[in-house]
Amino acid sequence: MFTQFGATAESLSKASTMVFRIGTDAHLYDDPDDVNIAPLLDSKFDSEKCEALKRLLALIAQGFDVSNFFPQVVKNVASQSIEVKKLVYLYLLHYAEKRPNEALLSINYFQKDLGDTNPLVRAWALRTMAGIRLHVIAPLVLVAVSKCARDPSVYVRKCAANALPKVHDLRLEENTAAIEELVGFLLNDNSPGVIGAAAAAFASVCPTNLSLIGRNYRRLCETLPDVEEWGQIVLIGILLRYAIARHGLVKESIMLSSRDLENIASENGASDTYQKGNEDSNAYFGLKESNADLTNGVCKSEVVDIVSRSYLEGPDKYLSKHRCADVLSSELEGLHFTSAKDNEDIKILLLCTSPLLWSHNSAVVLAAAGVHWIMAPKEDIQKIVKPLLFLMRSSNSSKYVVLCNIQVFSKAVPSLFAPHFEDFFMSPSDSYQVKALKLEILSTIATESSISSIFQEFQDYVKDPDRKFAADTVAAIGLCAQQFPKVANTCLEGLLALASHATDGEAIVLLQAIYSIKAIIGKDPSSNEKVIVHLIRSLESIRVPAARGMIIWMVGEYSDIGNVIPKVLPVVLKYLARCFTVEEVETKLQILNACGKVLLHSKEEELWAYRKVLSYMLDLARCDLNYDIRDRARFIKELLSCYIGSSDTEEGKAQQESRDVSRVLAGRIFGGQIKAPSSEQFSARFYLPGSLSHVVLHAAPGYEPLPRPCSLNFEDPSINSNIVEGAKRPGDGATQSESYTDDPDSVSGSLNEESTSDYSYADSIGGSDGTGGSNVSSSLSEVDVHKEPLIHLSEVGYPNANPDGGSHVDNQYSGSNNLGELISTRSLESWLDENPNSGHNLSEPSSIRKSSARISIGHIHGRVEPKICALLDPANGNGLSVDYAFSSELSSLSPLLVCLQVSFKNCSTEPMMNLQLVEDNKRQDSSDHASAMTESSSHGDVPSLVPMEEIANLGPSETINIMLQVRFRHHLLPLKLVLWCNGKTYPVKLRPDIGYFVRPLPMDIGVFSAKEAQLPGMFEYTRRCIFTDHIGELKKGDKPGTNDQFLVICECLAVKVLSNANFFLVSVDMPVSANLDDASGLRLRFSGELLSNSVPCLVTLVLEGTCFEPLNILVKVNCEETVFGLNLLNRIVNLLAEPARG
Amino acid sequence: MMQCIFLLSDSGEVMLEKQLTGHRVDRSICAWFWEQSIAQGDSFKFLCRVADVLSDYLGGLNEDLIKDNFVIVYELLDEMIDNGFPLTTEPNILREMIAPPNIVSKMLSVVTGTSSNVSNTLPVATASCVPWRKMDPKNTSNEVYVDLVEEMDAIISRDGTLVKCEIYGEVQVNSHLSGLPDLTLSFANASILNDVRFHPCVRLRPWESQQILSFVPPDGQFKLMSYRVKKLKNIPIYVKPQLSSDSGMCRISVLVGIKNDPRKPIDSITVEFQLPPCVLSANLTPNHGTVNILASKVLMFFDHTCSWSIGRLPKDKAPSLSGTLVLAAGLERLPVFPTFQVGFRVMGIALSGLQMDKLDFKNLPSRPYKGFRGLTRAGEYQVRS
Repeated sequence: MFTQFGATAESLSKASTMVFRIGTDAHLYDDPDDVNIAPLLDSKFDSEKCEALKRLLALIAQGFDVSNFFPQVVKNVASQSIEVKKLVYLYLLHYAEKRPNEALLSINYFQKDLGDTNPLVRAWALRTMAGIRLHVIAPLVLVAVSKCARDPSVYVRKCAANALPKVHDLRLEENTAAIEELVGFLLNDNSPGVIGAAAAAFASVCPTNLSLIGRNYRRLCETLPDVEEWGQIVLIGILLRYAIARHGLVKESIMLSSRDLENIASENGASDTYQKGNEDSNAYFGLKESNADLTNGVCKSEVVDIVSRSYLEGPDKYLSKHRCADVLSSELEGLHFTSAKDNEDIKILLLCTSPLLWSHNSAVVLAAAGVHWIMAPKEDIQKIVKPLLFLMRSSNSSKYVVLCNIQVFSKAVPSLFAPHFEDFFMSPSDSYQVKALKLEILSTIATESSISSIFQEFQDYVKDPDRKFAADTVAAIGLCAQQFPKVANTCLEGLLALASHATDGEAIVLLQAIYSIKAIIGKDPSSNEKVIVHLIRSLESIRVPAARGMIIWMVGEYSDIGNVIPKVLPVVLKYLARCFTVEEVETKLQILNACGKVLLHSKEEELWAYRKVLSYMLDLARCDLNYDIRDRARFIKELLSCYIGSSDTEEGKAQQESRDVSRVLAGRIFGGQIKAPSSEQFSARFYLPGSLSHVVLHAAPGYEPLPRPCSLNFEDPSINSNIVEGAKRPGDGATQSESYTDDPDSVSGSLNEESTSDYSYADSIGGSDGTGGSNVSSSLSEVDVHKEPLIHLSEVGYPNANPDGGSHVDNQYSGSNNLGELISTRSLESWLDENPNSGHNLSEPSSIRKSSARISIGHIHGRVEPKICALLDPANGNGLSVDYAFSSELSSLSPLLVCLQVSFKNCSTEPMMNLQLVEDNKRQDSSDHASAMTESSSHGDVPSLVPMEEIANLGPSETINIMLQVRFRHHLLPLKLVLWCNGKTYPVKLRPDIGYFVRPLPMDIGVFSAKEAQLPGMFEYTRRCIFTDHIGELKKGDKPGTNDQFLVICECLAVKVLSNANFFLVSVDMPVSANLDDASGLRLRFSGELLSNSVPCLVTLVLEGTCFEPLNILVKVNCEETVFGLNLLNRIVNLLAEPARG
Repeated sequence: MMQCIFLLSDSGEVMLEKQLTGHRVDRSICAWFWEQSIAQGDSFKFLCRVADVLSDYLGGLNEDLIKDNFVIVYELLDEMIDNGFPLTTEPNILREMIAPPNIVSKMLSVVTGTSSNVSNTLPVATASCVPWRKMDPKNTSNEVYVDLVEEMDAIISRDGTLVKCEIYGEVQVNSHLSGLPDLTLSFANASILNDVRFHPCVRLRPWESQQILSFVPPDGQFKLMSYRVKKLKNIPIYVKPQLSSDSGMCRISVLVGIKNDPRKPIDSITVEFQLPPCVLSANLTPNHGTVNILASKVLMFFDHTCSWSIGRLPKDKAPSLSGTLVLAAGLERLPVFPTFQVGFRVMGIALSGLQMDKLDFKNLPSRPYKGFRGLTRAGEYQVRS
């Protein structure tokens, strides 16, 4: 270093940067692996560990895979040094998903850190633990989150809110309810920082559960200005959705300005006036027109109409039914309205968002502007204009985003931005996209008073070095000239000058100029004769084929206008005939057309000359190399045969009639009125202001239109969230992206349907229905009851006291003793909560019930309908929809394989080829190492997916079902597959269902009891839940039979369990009690064995409560596999507690 | 919701990758973005903030700096964003959590070989209702400076008329005050402000009612407010370009002079314009200052930018630039006309005419030293030829 002193300036500066880099981590980035990292990780000095971790981080940054250090790194999570911890966390988060088994090793330390006194340590532990994303630890994370949600530190609570989407991302159904509850809890927090994060969690976890917002709506509005800017953006969107779902659109707002105001005024919940409106849609549209006239350009009602509908329905849905106006208007009239003046909720929303228009964060301003745009009364919208315009003075990209939004606003209400036209003048730093948007906005908002200044600007732009932009300017000039006939003449002059001076390199500008001229002339051809003549004169100098084509088209179209054109026509035609052979194809076609038209319009004296020219050209065209031209020539010849060949057949009166026909035909074809192309905005897509979708003009993932107005119909929002959810679902259920939330519908729907059909059942012991109760107590059931292992329950919490249980966990997770410990702790926790109840419950039946009857439900398998999950959504798969359902069939190849019924459906209109599901190879390779550790060697050769036969062809709306055998690596981890279709690949994930990792194990009640007795204590897990499905069933059945009620309940339960898990129904015990409505003591037993190792797994459901009330069910699982058993228990409890939706 | 952040070097190579959610994004996507160069939405706004914070920490933002401090960058990113949603973006809090690199820590790490830039404790401000302010900072200097920094945007059309002239200004405050001071700032002529935007510390109600800025300032330098003043009539300097083409040559002359004297010295005057692609060569000589022609490659096209730096206007003569451009073969006249971008700086005055009235303090033990300054420079100041 010092030797460089006194050197030249250049080496000095080099030296100074060298000095500058001393002490930084530069050397670590430049040569991360110049030392052996592994020993450093095992060092006992924190500084060496730090260095090693930094080197690993550098390698990650450069894209190398250093996951092989995982075990060594994970060990360091126990370090006391904050910096080491942070670095380990960074590493862990990057690789946890890749190395799940080793990641589990760290869980114990996170648990410890969660109890640390330093809030920073707690927060980091929670963040990392949630970030690891392993299904196995999801329950632990959830417990940790709910603990942290009550933490005294704001920062930790904020991290808890942020952790919720991570847990939700794992898509574990059993956690959904708990997560949503936590979101609601955190939204109730009194710190604005937490509320912001909770809002973000809400938006990604349960954006449609607006009842959660209802409870806190006012408070959320009031805290909005204090929330962090990023939270503000999300929260504004949520509040807007809530307000619309709760109160509907505001009748004074722009969204409803296109609707008939009188109708709205008279409308008061009654829909008759609207019905009338529907019946006569013409009258409706007529009214609308007049309304638009009244407002006189204040807002373009048609555009507003489309915009507001697009916001509500999503443009794709809206555009798809664009053609059928009836559907539209009826949909539209079903909406409800409210008034911003009377409604306090909406008033407060507008009041609290308006100061946000001054925020220094552009995204906040845009979001707040969006609320005012949709909800504010028309006269108040002015408020958003200046803030929006101010946003433009930031980076080019945000400028583009803002302009995209202004473009829509200005299309709908040009008058909003009209006074501010100067803000849209170009600046040299604008990118081409920004300039193009500004041009479009300028031509939209131009008014009589501003048009002259705008034209001044346009004239400067035409000379811009960016020729594409110059061409766009020319197009904009054309648009404006059509709008304002006053300036049309000046425009034409300018454009003509431009066209005549344009050089060869300027094809786009020239083309655009001619196109604009053509459009302007089209408005009023007769007064622009000179312009046409001028253009015709310049034909000689214009060489761009498309431009020539357009001029020639004008020759044909306006051949009979004015005095001059007919005079020059013969010369022009001769000129065209002369140069016909050297023209381009498109010009040739235009020449032929033009000649045809001229002939049609010509008077007698010129007919002969024209006819000659045309026949000459047709002869040329018939020998042309291009078949389009030959076709056109033939076509014109036939069509105009009466004109061309008239010299020969002049006297043939017989053909007079057919000639008349072809004359009319030719007149229609060549002389038909040209319809102006329907304005482009009708096919434009509108998305919510400020959304990403609005910028990219297609629905980005996660985009949802506004909720249906007033879909949230309840008086007191705080009463019952379940009812609300049910009421809301029909409205926007279709837009829900989560496949699994919709699935219960299909399952329970089928349940309900079939329950009305006559089910047959047989009593195993006694006679038919109604008499089951008289078959008194078998001794076995007595024994069973007495053998109920009450005492063992209290031993659950000490897994390591039992060496067997401990060793088992060890096998499963190479040395991860911690996990077993943790999960058992979890079971202890959950059990401790419920201990008094469950003990009570188990003892109660045995003491009260003296006798019970056993029934068997036959034919239940006919009603079992496995749940169907979506593998590939048709929206993502170009119309290919793939669903799968777990099948109860067993694989003949290997016990490790799970059978799936996969159905491929082609929802598109085109056939699909070569469909095949294959393994995700990359995934396979990287995790081979891991799987080798977990699987015993005998199963190592079983593939993840038994190769599937390729489906060669799948026709439109055809469905093919295929049985697939797969091996999940873990009962909670999804299997990544690749779906081939039409040569394209779609990555898909098969989510395992723990209920199908068992196979039915037929046994009788004696064996069941014996086995149950062998699995006491820590192998037994219980939880409670509430079951409500049967109430609907009972009401539907409406049969007052005594035992029917029990049967219905049992069947409901059995079907629900068997539809979701592959078990054998061992027995159904029924209590014989005095009270006919008392279902307490009903007991269902299921048995099965694990696919992988044939360990038996027993499930017992015990009911408590009366028939027509929600039943309290105690679920008990006995299984040697601790982790599996717990997860299975959770699954069963959740599926039972989940209400059937129908 | 963001899924990942990649930091790319100038050549498009990935320097740093951070995955934010479980849905991993392959780094090969960068290549596509590099070609498209697009960015949108709130996420983009957040990225801007990340860039701001990073350059604040590293004292600039370039390839070397990021490589040198990649650990800090990682730590910062981790703290700023969690699962794709921003966590802590307040620079003051971040500074307390993760120490910025500085000479002391560097020296320390060289000498002792150990250094930790990660704080052991959670900054108190995370829990406060004024998260932008460090809790109870102790400042030996008791002072506050308020600067009006304005940028003038103007468009002068081909015929020399002023099409548009407006000012984009910022109120920049540099505060070194102890405790939890409460400041109020008022303007003498707030009505000239067209649009405003505020730092989160500004209370919005007093502004709504009386147009008074009431705030608890963050410590150090920050942007209190930005504003816009439209429809101004006076521009400080004029630039008159003249181009005349004749048989493949184009004569060019540019004159610069004072138009409305701001009564403060104007310096750092520059005039820049892009030579159209059809210009083969240029021969330009100024009578004052220096001329540089720089070639830069934007995407596939070479751009030649001619930059004339004048500095201060000389007293004795009006600076002028004259010369000829040789056009590409076959071109008689210059078909397009470049736009001239003018740069200048006027110290000591806010050209919008905005005047501060008074600055009051509450909650302070002793009266601090107050300083006011104005500065105007050219923003998008363009003259068309």
